[in-house]
Amino acid sequence: QDLPETTLSVVGSWSSLPLYQKFERVFWEETVPAASGGKITVNMTTFNQMGVSGGDVFRMLGDGVFEVGMTVGDYTVADAPELEGLDVPLLATDADSARKMVAAAKPMVADIMRDRFNAHMLAIAPYPPQVVFCNAEIASLDDLGGKKIRGSGRMTTLFLEALGAEGITMAFSEVPGALERGVIDCAVTGAGSGYSSGWFESSTHLVNLPLGGWDPVITAVNLDAWNAMDPAVQAFLTEQVKTGFEDPAWDDAAGALARDIACLTGSGECAAGAAASMTLVELSDADKARAVEVLEQKILPDWAERAGGDWAERWNASVGAALGVSIAN
Amino acid sequence: MIWYVSIGLAVLLALSVPVGAALFILGFGLDAFFSPMPLMRGLGQMVYSSSDSFLLIAIPLFVLLGEILVRAGIAERTYATLDTWFSWLPGGLVHANIGTATMFSATSGSSVATAATVATVAMPQARKQGYDQRLFAGAIAAGGALGILLPPSINLIVYGFLTQTSVPQLFMAGIVPGLLMALGFMIITAILCTIKPEWGGPSRSFTWAERMAGLPHLIPVLLVFAIIIGSIYTGWATPTEAAAIGVVMALGIAAFYGAVTWTNMRAALLGTIRTTSMVMFVIVGAYFLNFALGATGLNRALSGFLEGLGLGPYGMLLMIVLMYILLGFFIETLALMIATIPIVVPIVIGLGFDKVWFGILLIVLIEMALITPPVGLNLYVVQGARKEGRLSDVMLGAIPFVFVMLVMVGLLIAFPSTALLFAPA
Amino acid sequence: MTGSDRLATRVMTLVNGLRTANRWIALLCGMVLVGAVALIIVEVLGRQFPALHLGGADELSGYIMAAIATWGFSYALVERAHVRIDLVHARLPVGGRAVMDVIAMASVLLVAVLVASYAYDVLAKSVARGSRSNTPLGIPLWMPQIIWFGGWVWLTLTSALLLAATVILSLLRRWDMVEQIASIPVETGEVQ
Ligand code: NA
Ligand code: NA
Repeated sequence: QDLPETTLSVVGSWSSLPLYQKFERVFWEETVPAASGGKITVNMTTFNQMGVSGGDVFRMLGDGVFEVGMTVGDYTVADAPELEGLDVPLLATDADSARKMVAAAKPMVADIMRDRFNAHMLAIAPYPPQVVFCNAEIASLDDLGGKKIRGSGRMTTLFLEALGAEGITMAFSEVPGALERGVIDCAVTGAGSGYSSGWFESSTHLVNLPLGGWDPVITAVNLDAWNAMDPAVQAFLTEQVKTGFEDPAWDDAAGALARDIACLTGSGECAAGAAASMTLVELSDADKARAVEVLEQKILPDWAERAGGDWAERWNASVGAALGVSIAN
Repeated sequence: MIWYVSIGLAVLLALSVPVGAALFILGFGLDAFFSPMPLMRGLGQMVYSSSDSFLLIAIPLFVLLGEILVRAGIAERTYATLDTWFSWLPGGLVHANIGTATMFSATSGSSVATAATVATVAMPQARKQGYDQRLFAGAIAAGGALGILLPPSINLIVYGFLTQTSVPQLFMAGIVPGLLMALGFMIITAILCTIKPEWGGPSRSFTWAERMAGLPHLIPVLLVFAIIIGSIYTGWATPTEAAAIGVVMALGIAAFYGAVTWTNMRAALLGTIRTTSMVMFVIVGAYFLNFALGATGLNRALSGFLEGLGLGPYGMLLMIVLMYILLGFFIETLALMIATIPIVVPIVIGLGFDKVWFGILLIVLIEMALITPPVGLNLYVVQGARKEGRLSDVMLGAIPFVFVMLVMVGLLIAFPSTALLFAPA
Repeated sequence: MTGSDRLATRVMTLVNGLRTANRWIALLCGMVLVGAVALIIVEVLGRQFPALHLGGADELSGYIMAAIATWGFSYALVERAHVRIDLVHARLPVGGRAVMDVIAMASVLLVAVLVASYAYDVLAKSVARGSRSNTPLGIPLWMPQIIWFGGWVWLTLTSALLLAATVILSLLRRWDMVEQIASIPVETGEVQ
């Protein structure tokens, strides 16, 4: 392949998490240079290694501080409330439906990235689902009512409040101590992060429900840089990012959740270390139906108002249609 | 590039450019000469995101708490009381200096503020009672350094902020090493003054009645400390919330001593804003410099270099400790912490050491930097309060205490539980 | 009184006015900080007594922190409180010290100008996008950011005026006055 020489500054997502270590870094530092025959070279770092807040990544990307940037879509909704629709809690309960949800949302996300952040969307890859660690008996969705829960993201917090729970803001590092001392009853994070940070030592019940959504990570290119690229480079990146990054990351997602749950509950082989023995809570179909009802009646209409424009209709026609959910008017 | 940063920093500091501005300018230079990315475009965002912080507002709150207590005359009363309890020891009042610094550290988040406060109340006594001022002043400089090891501590908050470490855990972990170090300071004073009585001053005895009469004056400080630490430890309040509670308590104590006057409150608020802004200027400057270092890949190159040495965990730790001792001679401490933590801490964790434990070890090294020449802010502050003699007297007087800090470093490495014993998960 | 005396006096009057203004600003910042204390206390009590529960104290305190620290930079500057290393400075004759004071003041001005201009972009972007904080409170970000941006503009103004004053007084060889407005203070034990 005959590509013009190109150098890219790439800023990845959290350097401590598997998405970066297993997929982002490998793709940009190994796959891209190799597949381009050494024509495309990459300087890679991550936003946390630069001390950049996750919510500032796309602002800086739009300004051209770097060419390629990755961050959790939910971190940037201060600048683009319509982006909240990419990651609605509880709608996708397994990796396949999450993938369907994200695929349906992609055209909207591409428009948002272009209009809000002067950027071209390249890919969307998932973090593991954001499940709930509780230091309390939990058997149903109702049991979350009245609990103090450390959530993340506005939509999750609003959902918790709709259930009668209290949303608490707290730094990630303070969570284990707070769970232990009863300052909070539950906290939301990825199952893998919770395992590697030892949250199982201060909590008893693992609610296997993506209350915090999937925290999809958007990869985007500065639009000016993108437009200045040779069409061959554009085509190369578009194709490679799908086969070399997005697909493998999604293929891994389903297995990852099962592996992490095995480590947290001791229900199976744990390759990461000693397995813990948390109680796994799977919510009933009635609970799931109730969650969807709360979303349809309260959370999503509120979002439609925040986002304004025709986002509710676009959402209903894409994500909603794919998952059989509809925002009430 | 590493030479650009080191020499650039040395030149700017030698030119007496304000430390915060020097860090910004180094970052601008990295952008202009080394970075593949136009970093300046991220300048505004970096500065905003580093100043908008619920955790960092604990800094002005703890400063305000200390300011109010000082204006309530707490330092004088504590000093007079500890004089009656400790001055029979060999070294006399020097022990009261250490004791007062320890007590005041328990409510102050800053070493420089603690040293300044104790120096102001203690130095007149040194003159009055004819002490050899070297050890006397050295003890204040070193005792004041405890301000950042015993909670509350601005530097521990900054460490927690930069490394995502639990600040309550860090606070708890600082207590035992802080108290051990205070004890070490007193032991070395007693030993030196037994060998060389002329280094201390007259040992004086007080009656038990005199001693008991002073005790109530210690209650306010102990109460503030207990409430701050208790509320954090039980999880009843975050560090920032505990600081706010402390401010309210300090106001109550000042009211009790009749010190809530417009003049006092005005001075306390102005002093708080002055200190906070001075600290924050360094923090935002260092934050931007880190952003530039990260973008140019210098920090990854450095950690790659260190990891490539293949020294093993303890060899590497020793290298890091030596580096801090060396840099600590020359670099202002907050700038030193912020500029090195993002590079050093990931390496240390990668070696399998505990993040909380390393935070405490680092603070002891930072305390050492505060009392070692040529750049040691506590030395300057104490010399300023003496208004006589030479700075070198204070430097000489601080040497025995540097020795105690070195012992503490060794102790922390040999027995990590010194720090981790009372640190909850 | 010679012409140069009159000029020096006028410069000092200006600097003193600047000092007074900054002292009032700092006092206002201090009172806002006391407001933050009240807000946080209510939040703590609100956890025990839900009737008092307001929420959002953490978010608002963050904005307050950004505001008071930034507006305080100028106060710390007129009070000569920013940390400077006097290893070389202290060993120079008055003229040399004045040169270093000019450099120091100019460095602050450089930083202030650059940060203020890029801070404007941050603010402008929040206004253009109608950005709101990613919390249930959903505060329009331009509100805290305009206060923060103003602090950097004020630092630009303060440092520019102080730099001009330092240069003029140095040219007039009024070293005592240069020392008063721009030098490194001899530690008095009051400095915290
Ligand atoms: Na302290
Ligand atoms: Na030093």
